[in-house]
Amino acid sequence: MTWWENIFPRRPRTDSFEEIRRKLEAFHKLQAENNRALELIAQAEEMLGGEFIFDRQSLKVLARDLEDAVRSVVSSLNRITDDRYPGLVPVMEHVRADVQAMLESRIVAASTDYLIPLEKVDASLADAVGEKMARLGEMGKRLECRTPAGFVISAHACQLFLEDAGVLEAMERLFDRPAGMSQGQMKGRAADLSARVLNSEPPRDLARAIRRGVKQIERRSGSDRFAVRSSALGEDGELSFAGQFETILGVPVDEVLDAYKRVVASLYSPAVMRYRLDRQLHPARGLMAVGCLCMVPASASGVVYTLDPTAPEREVILVSAAWGLGRMVVEGTGHVDQYEITREQPHRVVTRRVAHKEERYALGTPKGVERVPVPIAERDQPCLQEEAIEGLVAMALRIERHMRRAQDIEWALDDGGRLFILQARPLQLVPHAARASRNLSEAVRGYPVLLRDQGTIACRGIGAGQVCIVGEKTNVDDLPPHAVLVARTSTPRLAAAVETAAAVITDVGTATGHLSTIAREYGIPAIVDAKNATQVLKDEQEVTVDAEENVVYRGRVGELVRYQLVQYSKGAESAEFKLLRGLLKRVAPLNLRDPNSPRFVAEDCATYHDIIRFAHEKAVAELTEGSRFRLSPRSQRIRALDLPIPLDLILIDVGGGLAVSPGSKKARIEEVRSRPLRALLAGLTVEGVWMTEPADMDLDGFMSSATRSMSLAGPSAGAVEHNLAIISDAYMNLSLHLGYHFNVIDCYLSDERNENYIYFRFVGGVTEITRRLRRTELLRRILEAHDFMVEASADLVYGRIKKITADAMLAKLEMIGRLIGFTRQLDILLRDDSLVDRYVGKFLQNGRASAPGKPAPAEERTST
Amino acid sequence: MSTDGEVLVLDDEGIVCDRIKEHLGKKGFLVETYTESRTALDRLENKTFDVVVTDLKMRGPTGLDVLRFVKQRSPATQVIMITGYGSIESANEAEIVGAFDFICKPFALDDIYALVKKAAKRAKKLR
Repeated sequence: MTWWENIFPRRPRTDSFEEIRRKLEAFHKLQAENNRALELIAQAEEMLGGEFIFDRQSLKVLARDLEDAVRSVVSSLNRITDDRYPGLVPVMEHVRADVQAMLESRIVAASTDYLIPLEKVDASLADAVGEKMARLGEMGKRLECRTPAGFVISAHACQLFLEDAGVLEAMERLFDRPAGMSQGQMKGRAADLSARVLNSEPPRDLARAIRRGVKQIERRSGSDRFAVRSSALGEDGELSFAGQFETILGVPVDEVLDAYKRVVASLYSPAVMRYRLDRQLHPARGLMAVGCLCMVPASASGVVYTLDPTAPEREVILVSAAWGLGRMVVEGTGHVDQYEITREQPHRVVTRRVAHKEERYALGTPKGVERVPVPIAERDQPCLQEEAIEGLVAMALRIERHMRRAQDIEWALDDGGRLFILQARPLQLVPHAARASRNLSEAVRGYPVLLRDQGTIACRGIGAGQVCIVGEKTNVDDLPPHAVLVARTSTPRLAAAVETAAAVITDVGTATGHLSTIAREYGIPAIVDAKNATQVLKDEQEVTVDAEENVVYRGRVGELVRYQLVQYSKGAESAEFKLLRGLLKRVAPLNLRDPNSPRFVAEDCATYHDIIRFAHEKAVAELTEGSRFRLSPRSQRIRALDLPIPLDLILIDVGGGLAVSPGSKKARIEEVRSRPLRALLAGLTVEGVWMTEPADMDLDGFMSSATRSMSLAGPSAGAVEHNLAIISDAYMNLSLHLGYHFNVIDCYLSDERNENYIYFRFVGGVTEITRRLRRTELLRRILEAHDFMVEASADLVYGRIKKITADAMLAKLEMIGRLIGFTRQLDILLRDDSLVDRYVGKFLQNGRASAPGKPAPAEERTST
Repeated sequence: MSTDGEVLVLDDEGIVCDRIKEHLGKKGFLVETYTESRTALDRLENKTFDVVVTDLKMRGPTGLDVLRFVKQRSPATQVIMITGYGSIESANEAEIVGAFDFICKPFALDDIYALVKKAAKRAKKLR
């Protein structure tokens, strides 16, 4: 603002008719593109479900379409708000650049510190620390598994090292045309790259950080020997690379840096390169995060499979154990004890084979590990006692439940008998075993069906657990984990509980809504729009949700649960699947969930989903908070509406909303062509709904009203922003000042269900705050009963409903019309809390309700 | 033959062939897969299938070449074209007349099954 404008401020801007139309068009564009983006994300997530055939080109087109949609949302928001959110553009460009890099097979390492302590690592850091370390960190942080002390040298550090040593430049040069390379050429060039890594020194600050990290861990844990473990990026962990990258055990403190280089150099082993090439990946473009973990002084160690990989239907857990370090079990080079334990509780050991164990692995002197003889007295003793087996099985099943797949877990017991988890990864099943478990139609026949083909599958999968009905008063923080959450609407309140749920079912909702997206993000089976699940399913009832076939069974269907654990898909191994998963991680997670949080700002958007969520919220606020539109009353498309109730309403037709004769000054109800406005007026003009007499006011109400009248002096008289409806054939933005309430209803109604929405905003009132809060409560309950998602604070009520059919829209708008009339002066009547119940009941029961009226004197007495 | 029909699937991505084969196989079709169009054409010369599912764009002979060959040799055989997302516009429609239908990647396995089922029925009717 200039000094001149400070002294002589500009007159408030009068929006031209075209200006309003332009903004509304931008809003509709934003809505449509927001829906398109959500649908594309949903489609991509559905593709990940394994039922789709797609290739890299499909992903490129999908990414391009998504980018276009998000770009359009951002520019629409800035058109609506006169460029108030320029910060969204660089955020969007940042996401776009990462997506592009992935599509071009460039591995994108998250920018992080060189070293990340293991206790700070979880699954979300996979693009910084690799899948293997991310899983280990996740188990320590979220499941309270005991894991070795240590840290991860990040992929970002690896990138700097390789750049600094000239390896990346040499790699691009040596492998510019990898497809036509002979085996011999590839081997030679791979050896060249390995040698460059081994002969280089990490940048000085990185080397210093590693030395310091090692010293700190040594001081903290007292351990002077380390396991230096690979954790490569860009693949789905080392699942398919098992044994091909280097892991070095028993490394002394002063050799950790050398071991680090050896592990990084294993990126360029010929075996890895061939593997990558076979999968149409660039053979040498990889990045390696490296875990530096204390060696656990293991008295015994081994491996747990949470299912038998050759016969999952046996429902047993397999445990192998040896004395000393676990290498004997992993390598399979010596005799080990073997146990089979039932998966069902109480866990019973059904087979116990104790081997004659002559040797064990121990830390070597001065480094490495070596085979040493087992003392004769211990050779035929079992490595595990009952108590240790129990602890191991409980932990293994906890990990499986969290990871949602059968697991292959490496473990160790230290001298004190404390259990450490060293690694966990999805169990690789023998393919025929997995396929055999898919013949399910026979198996499920004996279970009663509670719901079938009701609603839409939002996330495929199978989940079993106890039903937990989430009502409007349920505190979502108190929901038990591993429950089947059943709710009336897909309210965002549920989002926080979804991560730990076994499955989610809602009566109302769509597969492209935010809750559905969150369910897919966490891979939680979800069915939405199931109509009456909250009535059919009962609290604490044990059910199995088959969100593959859209069926809910009573009881726990073991065959289905097992199918979920062993699900084997060839597609899941393809490069396209990995690429899709990577892309989704970059675009789909929703971090900005709470619009009231101070972090709900453009700059904190991290994904495309965040960006469209933010933009949508701000656009809605722009249209519903206060009167944004100012228009000259002489415009040709403005008419006052002739109504049978004392309400002055001005209509502005932006296209197809009115059919009036040119000379007429007023429009009649029959001339309204706007479908949403017609529906609302139908409710508003129902006989008896509109209270024409002023409500009786007691003294408190009167005093409060009198003082509030002064403080709430309305905007200048004569402005057309009072009681104004901007309409088209399918759209309505209605601003109503009724007494001291201010109501805004913004809605769009078409035959395309996904585009439909109603936003309802109600604020103000004439009495003291307690009564207005009662009215807030009343509105909230009525709206929620009609499936709106409602946010209420102080005397502001904000309800929204989206993606319902045109018929349902008409019914909701008619209800809103009645509600406006019903609540016009209601706060004056709400003298105590019990009356809220009464009026809510009255409105809901009556359907086509009459005015609230006065409560009977007798009831008034008893209720006070 | 007790199967619902014999199908040849041709796509230069092995994973696409494998997954279609697995799915159609479960539904009762007898499926052969090829990732090289020349090998597939050799096979088509010696054996008549009810349905051929082929990618449009491939190294060597393209999906259109396969379509022409099949229609010449065995008019009753129905050809379903797999096209890249949005690439249908780039194919000359006049040339691909004669295909039973098209399906764009990404597509659901159930969608290809529904198409193959219809195509097989038509092929049997024409024989």
